[in-house]
Amino acid sequence: MAGRKRSFWIRRIVRTLVTAFGVSLVAFLILHLTPGDPAKIMLGPYASEAAYEAIRERYHLNEPLPLQYLYWISGVFRGDLGDSIRYNRPVLELIKDRIGPTLALMGSALFISITLGIFLGIVAAIKRNTPIDYFATFQAVFWLSIPPFWLGILFLYIFGLQLRWVPIGGMVGFTSLIFPALTIGLRDEAWFARPMRAEMLEVLNQDYIKAVKAKGLKYSSVIVKHALRNALIPMITMIALRLPWVIGGSVVVEVVFSWGGLGSFLVSSVLARDYPVVQAILLLIAMLVVVANLVADLLYSVIDPRIRKES
Amino acid sequence: MSDRDQALLDEAVKDIARLKKQRSSQLYLVWLRFKKNRLALVGFIMVCIVLFVAAFAPLLTPYDPYETDPFNRLKAPSRDHWLGTDELGRDVLTRLLYGTRIALLIGVLIVLFEGTIGISLGIFSGFFGGVIDSIVMRLVDVLRSFPVIILAMAIAGIMGQGIMNVIIAMGIVGWTTYARMVRSKILSIKESDYVEAARSIGESKASIILRYILPNTLPTAIVMVCIMMPTALIASSTLSFLGVGVQPPTADWGSMISAGRDYLLDAPWISTSAGLAIMFTVLGFNFIGDGLRDALDPTIKRA
Repeated sequence: MAGRKRSFWIRRIVRTLVTAFGVSLVAFLILHLTPGDPAKIMLGPYASEAAYEAIRERYHLNEPLPLQYLYWISGVFRGDLGDSIRYNRPVLELIKDRIGPTLALMGSALFISITLGIFLGIVAAIKRNTPIDYFATFQAVFWLSIPPFWLGILFLYIFGLQLRWVPIGGMVGFTSLIFPALTIGLRDEAWFARPMRAEMLEVLNQDYIKAVKAKGLKYSSVIVKHALRNALIPMITMIALRLPWVIGGSVVVEVVFSWGGLGSFLVSSVLARDYPVVQAILLLIAMLVVVANLVADLLYSVIDPRIRKES
Repeated sequence: MSDRDQALLDEAVKDIARLKKQRSSQLYLVWLRFKKNRLALVGFIMVCIVLFVAAFAPLLTPYDPYETDPFNRLKAPSRDHWLGTDELGRDVLTRLLYGTRIALLIGVLIVLFEGTIGISLGIFSGFFGGVIDSIVMRLVDVLRSFPVIILAMAIAGIMGQGIMNVIIAMGIVGWTTYARMVRSKILSIKESDYVEAARSIGESKASIILRYILPNTLPTAIVMVCIMMPTALIASSTLSFLGVGVQPPTADWGSMISAGRDYLLDAPWISTSAGLAIMFTVLGFNFIGDGLRDALDPTIKRA
């Protein structure tokens, strides 16, 4: 048993390392996707020859590609993510300034989506095939059909411009966090409500639930103590799998609400062709997802030992 | 030919006819199951409306979507302009109607492009297994670590603005879902008795793929395409909104929302109506996708 457990962990970690390597390759190759001189792509066509040469020197653009990658990735390990072309400052510093607001926004959005999604999923499963269930299903499709940036604009229009409850974008206190977080959270809740309903229904069909019911346990404690606990376990993986979508949504919503985080910074950097910044943020986001997936899988295998036997 | 031979021949002809009938009745069964789902039917009607508008846009409006009118800028909805005018005096409703064409064109092309890549890689990966499978699945792992919209934005941003680049960027990023679904479907088909039987009577690999595996992956592929259409529509409008997608003055819903954002206080109808148009279309496809999934292949979980 112990051997099997260890081999599962080792295989999972090796797979993660391979994925991490691939992720770094993609982030690196982004700049080399289009034919043409990367120095010209970064600085635009009208810079001086000396400036081009300086850029080539700084990022070793005259070396062959594999060597360029090695220079870049060894820089990453030393904490050198290059310099922003727009700001002429180390990328790492710029990211440090902006990561706080993004984490605050994503944290609140995740909190909203997970609690709401799990709650609606449970209610839908318990009240299966009733109007409540249909409503829960319908509202999930409804939120998933709304472009997140448009929902943000609607919130801004109604609660910022018309009712003047909250500031129109920017980051001024707690009130400005509410609607960006709601915009992401309401949509992403739909990702969690459905699988939660399915898990809950599956668990409720198990023999041990019938057994505790037959034992005469109170219905609420059947749900909470026995069903919910087991239905929640697969949600760990679900949340990790959905993380990229949550991050993707928050990038767009940051732009709508002029939220000074990594997302709006990434978008403005793409538009300004500030590639060292784009590469660094892409790498950071993808690594976060890779690590989250690893943690979720390992956590899952600790909580639910059946998974190790199957794989 | 003896009577007995003739009788056998008749029997065979009847059998073939029965088989043909069975096949068409299976389609009929799918339709019955689809029809039973009322939301799916509603979605079907919604998408038909969108298709109708896209086909007959010029007949539905007296205005031109690109003709500016400096004297009628940001006019509120009226009898002449049902949804008002935008910042250049163009009729908003007209631009919405023409926008269905752009939206559907981009959506369909994205889905076709990413679907072709994903489904063929999924088939290869699932059928041949081994090294090919490992490589494809690791590639899927890597791409799925990036939020679709972010990677597509970065790629489209580098390649430069325009419809073609949006489609290419989404294709490079979005195929992984198809590949995973099709691969897992093929793995289960490979285990099935009828493939085992075909193998045991010595059918070739090519014939097994063509005669048994491909036809049985078809429902999965169809459902995938319907389920992915909403994602493609929202992603492409998001890219336009962020400024890396379709560029003005093209009558595109995403860029209309983006442009209307600057006039939200004076002319809220621009952004709101364009958003409603996206929502209507996406909702329609979502309803169809759900209905088709339940009717054709209930084993697919929602992507």
